[in-house]
This record gives sequence, structure tokens and C-alpha cells, in this order.
Amino acid sequence: MSENLNENLNEELEAPVEEVAAEATEVAEAVAPKVNPIGKAWGAFINLFGFSSKYYPGSKKRKKIFFDVLVYIVLILGGFTMLYPFWWMICASFAGSSIGLADTVFWPGAPTWTLDQAIFQNYIDFFDSATLTINTNVWATIGWTLIYSIVPVVVGVITSASAAFAFAKIEWYGRNIVFFYLLAAIMIPGPSIMVVQYCIYYSWGWTENGLSMIIPGMFGSIMTAFFIRQFLFGLPTSIIEAAKIDGAGYWRIFWGFVLPLALPAIMAQGILSFMGCWNNYLGCYMFVDNTKLYNLPVLIKKISDNYSGGAKNPAVTIAASVISILPILILFASCQNLIIGSLMLTGSKE
Amino acid sequence: MENKNTNLEEAEALAEMPEVEAVMGDGAAVAPAKKRKKPINQQKLQDNLWGWLFCTPLIVGTTLFVYIAFVIAILLSFSNYQEATPLWNFLGNIEWGSAAIVRVESGEFITDTSLIWYRYIFESTTQSNDFWYTLFNTVFYLIGIPIGMILSVFFAVCMSRDIKGANIFRVIYYIPCVASTVAITYTFQRLFATGGSGVINRLLFGDDSTRYINWLNGAQNTRPWSSGAIIYKWVIIIMSVWKGLGGTIILYVAGLSGVNASHKEAASIDGANAWITFWKIEIPQLWPTIFYNMVTAVIGGMQIYTEPDLLFSTNGGVNFEVTPYVGKIFYLGPMGNNPSPNCAYACALGIILALIIFVLTLFQFLIDSKMDK
Repeated sequence: MSENLNENLNEELEAPVEEVAAEATEVAEAVAPKVNPIGKAWGAFINLFGFSSKYYPGSKKRKKIFFDVLVYIVLILGGFTMLYPFWWMICASFAGSSIGLADTVFWPGAPTWTLDQAIFQNYIDFFDSATLTINTNVWATIGWTLIYSIVPVVVGVITSASAAFAFAKIEWYGRNIVFFYLLAAIMIPGPSIMVVQYCIYYSWGWTENGLSMIIPGMFGSIMTAFFIRQFLFGLPTSIIEAAKIDGAGYWRIFWGFVLPLALPAIMAQGILSFMGCWNNYLGCYMFVDNTKLYNLPVLIKKISDNYSGGAKNPAVTIAASVISILPILILFASCQNLIIGSLMLTGSKE
Repeated sequence: MENKNTNLEEAEALAEMPEVEAVMGDGAAVAPAKKRKKPINQQKLQDNLWGWLFCTPLIVGTTLFVYIAFVIAILLSFSNYQEATPLWNFLGNIEWGSAAIVRVESGEFITDTSLIWYRYIFESTTQSNDFWYTLFNTVFYLIGIPIGMILSVFFAVCMSRDIKGANIFRVIYYIPCVASTVAITYTFQRLFATGGSGVINRLLFGDDSTRYINWLNGAQNTRPWSSGAIIYKWVIIIMSVWKGLGGTIILYVAGLSGVNASHKEAASIDGANAWITFWKIEIPQLWPTIFYNMVTAVIGGMQIYTEPDLLFSTNGGVNFEVTPYVGKIFYLGPMGNNPSPNCAYACALGIILALIIFVLTLFQFLIDSKMDK
């Protein structure tokens, strides 16, 4: 409505404005007799997109449309760049041969179904070669990956949330010192302690039984605790005060009030750390020596090592990659609101 | 830790007090002031007890797996601990300052054990080459940080315009962040494959095979600044920028939405156009987010390892052209069934890395505080 009104107003105003402009140009010509024709043409041209110049008034509406279209083009090009490798990945996982893989650009080259192979031949090959070369079962590997990502994340998020609760809502002696103590630990880079971590786990036998991937994560993560703490600052303290007056202890407040109220943040952090653990290549590569207990990324690396330079179809590695990415993509697609919202929240508070 | 114990003991001692007072309260007259103080003490005790209890797992985990590990790393870096034998026995039996003969690589022996590994890095020609070349590669990979920062601010500004579907773009751009590094790396290995089998070469140059770029044929092991090696490193930079863009975009979009709207309006009333508003209003208000991202990106970027190792299939070896600093630590460490590890040397390299990162972070904070003035 208001836009229409504005347009009407503009139409009404246009004539006088032109008259005034004409007068102004007359005056200008009287002073400086020549109008720069190139400048005027340029002014007419940029006026198409709503820019103002000496000769033409600008239009805010047209300018906005121009920039919106520009932004859409940029964003769509960027989005294409972001998505293309994934599309290529899916296509390539159906490429029937090495040459077919090289021909894959927007569609599988020499796809498996044209070569008298099963449609999912590369996926079948992945399962077979895992049994043959690494002597492990892909389903068992997926199971271990799930264990590595569910157990430490569920326990770790709760321990992180409890620490976050203590930092955000409880006044206790030494809180700031402990906070600084934990913050400083972030400064210690992983690579400088990983050798010692390996030696410690090795001394306890954890590198052989997979506990090195489970136990350390159960103590919680400092970053997760900080993010949940940010969220808890936004919760009204009066709820906790009220619960305290009604006789609830901190233990009950934590389980009965804080966890349910902070569930969005906790879920978001949990899902993010689940994704991190599912994709955790380096941790498993470093701290697990038992081939039976590899997780999916390490298995993919071992399979790829066997294929590179070999005569077989390297698309098998891509098929394995698709298997490792699909669950994460589905999880992300179903929880994207929660995750992005949580990231935005923590981002805007920094 | 000691602090915590004493505090808990105090708390226990305090816990018994109310009962005592309650018993006394029957017979003896208790001063009213004391009576009023009682619930406060009780509350404080609860606060302290539960505050510490709730934090205990995180404190224990951090202390055990980070701080103690770091202290042991410092100790080991001065020792001759090479194979991953059970650690506790070794720590019990270290003879500090003894002139134990230590095997180093290629049959060299060092007899003077003071600062042995720290001197070995710089005294041995091969080792100092490894050190400087790998460090050069790591620092070169940091080029991706400013590129990613500019791109993500640009896209964030685009997305924070009032257009339909900005949320969808946010989700699309975040997808690479959640994908597995291993899967992405193997995909890029194929996309950038050498010659006509790589999609990128095909898309850029069609069938003109003379112009195909040799993106990642990095096995010559020449100097890290040779022209070929620079191209290989750019593949890594492209990949890490592509993968990390979405996360920073979301942070910047959040930051931009927090920019005070009245400031922008005031600026436009004063005649500032969008460009000036962006530089004078939005960037200064976004600066804390940008700075935070920069610091974390540099800390993370110095620890890069997975991408070059997988993309160029160096398999834990040291390839001067692409291997980053951490690759050398992996090469020496006991991880991945390394047949001839040198843990003490790897620890020394790790401590140097920690120092470098610390200095870089400090440097950034110094610049930031200078810019504030």
C-alpha cells in the first residue's frame, strides 16, 4: 500500500521535478554553455539501476532491486561452489571405471549400470575390500564409529553443562580462578601433547581396546561448556532462586530445571560434537592401534591407500566417502534450525 | 587441586555446624544475630560444594589430559625417551643430567644431553632443513585466513540484506563445515587430479591438454618454495577456505545483525552512503567477532596436518613441498604403529610449536590493543 502511494506521489511529482531540472539545466547552460554528452549518457545508464547523477534523480526502489539481483547472483554462484563437490561425489560414486571417474563432471561417466555391474557396485566393492585388505567389517566399523561418537558426546555434554551451570549460576569460592585455569588449557595446542597422550593411553592399554576414543571425551569439553554457559546467562536466575526457596538442592535444580531449560543449546552442542566425533579422523588414527576398532574415516584412508596406484576403480574411495557423509548431511538437514540458531546466538554474544 | 581439597574439608566441617547449633539452641540462648547468620552459611556451603562438584569432571579431565600431559611433554623433551615403552616406569627411572648416549637419526650420536633435542633441531643440517621447510609450509597455509575472512565478510554482508531465502543460503554454505575432512580431501584429490582426469582442469581449460595445471603431483620433494610446490599448497588453501567459509559466515551474519540499527540510520541521515556506513559503522562493531575468528584461525591453522597428508598421500612421511610442521611431529611420534619413533624429539618439536603459537597469539592481542588507541 505505502509503496503504491509513494509511486503515485512520485508520478505526480515527476513533472515539476523535470521542470525544475530543466530550469536548472538552462541556468547551468547559461553559465557553462555545454552539457557533457558522455556524462549525461552515463547518467542515463546508471539511472536504469537507480543511481542518481547530475542529470537524473536516483530511484531507491530500482537501486534496491539492482543490488538484490546482484546479491542473488553472487550467492547462487557461491552456493553452487559449495554444493558442487557433493554432487560430484555422488555422481563419481557410480562411475564404473577409472576412465569413467575421469569423465564424471555433472553426471557419472560410464556409470555402473551401463557396464553390466550392480548399480551400487562401488559400494559393494568397498565392503568387500574392507574385508579383504583390512580384515574388518564395515558394519562393525560403523558400529564403533557410533560408539565413539555417542557415548563420549552424551556423557561429555552433560558434564560440560554441569560445569557451565556452576560457572553461570552458582557463586563459589575460586570460580574465576578455575575459569581462567580452563581457559588457559585451550592455549595448549593438541600436537604438542599428542605424543604424551598416546604414551599415556598406551601405558593403560587404551590404544588396543578403543577406550582412548571414549574416556577422554566423557570428561566434557571446555568449548562446549563455554557455549552452554553463554546460553545459561540468558536464563532468568529467578527460576533457580524460586526452586531454592522451595527447597530444591542444586542437584535437583540441575536435572529438573537447567537441563530442560537449556535443552536447545545442549542439543545443538551435542549434535555439533556428535558430528565432530563422527568425522574424527585424527583422534582415531593416532590413538587406536587395533584395526578392528577403526572408525569410518580411518577405514576410508586405509582403503584409499590400497587403491592409489592400483588397477582397481578409485571411485570406491568416493563411494566410501559418500557413506561417511550421508548420515551427517541427513542429521544436519533435520536439525539445521537448531544448529544455526545456536551458532548465531553464541556468535552474537561474543 | 590442593585448593579444592582444603575447600571441601572446610565445607565438611561447616556441614556439621548447623546440627551442633540446633542441639545447643534447645537449652542455651543463642544470640539472634548468630541465628540469622546460620542460613547464609548453609547457603554458602551449598554454593561452594556444588560449584566445585559440578566442575569436577571438567577440571579432572583438563588437568589429566592437558596439563599433566603438557608437563610430561616438557619433561620428556629433555630426556632420551624414544620408543613408546610404558611411560610410568620410564618417568620413574629418568636420570637427569646423565651423559647417556642417545641415538638420533641416520646413525648420529649425541653425548652431551643438555637441551639435547632443542640443539639437535638447529645443529643438524637435515633436521634444521626439516624444521624450517615444514614451518614455511605451515605459515604459507595461513594465507587462507585473510582470504577466508574477506570472503566470509563479503558473503555475510550479502546475506544480511533484506532478501528472501537468506536462511537457505546460510544452511547451504554451512554444509562443507559438517562434512568429514577425509571425504572432502579425497574428493578434492580427484577434482584437482593432474592432467585431463581432473574436473577442475577440464572446466578451466576444456580439452586443451597443454594448459592443464599440475595441481597435486607433489612427489619431487624439492624446496617448499619451488613453483610446483606453491601450486600444490594453493590447492590446500582453496580447500580449507572452501571448507571453513560457512562457519565464519554464520558468526559474521550474527555479528552484523547485532549492529546497532540507530547508528546506521544516524549515519545515513548524515549523508553517508552504504560503503561509508560499512567501513565506519559495521566493521568497527563487527571487529570483536573478526578478531576472535582471526585468533582461533591462526591457532588452528598452525596445527594443520590432515589435509596435506591425505591430499598428497605422504603417509606420515616428510615431503618438503607440502608437509606442514605437525607432519614432522607425526613422522617422529609413536602414533600409527610407527616402527622407529623418537618421542622425546617429537615432544621437543611440540613444545616449540606451543611457544610459536603463544607468541603469535600474544602478537595479535598486542596489535589489537594498539588499534584500540
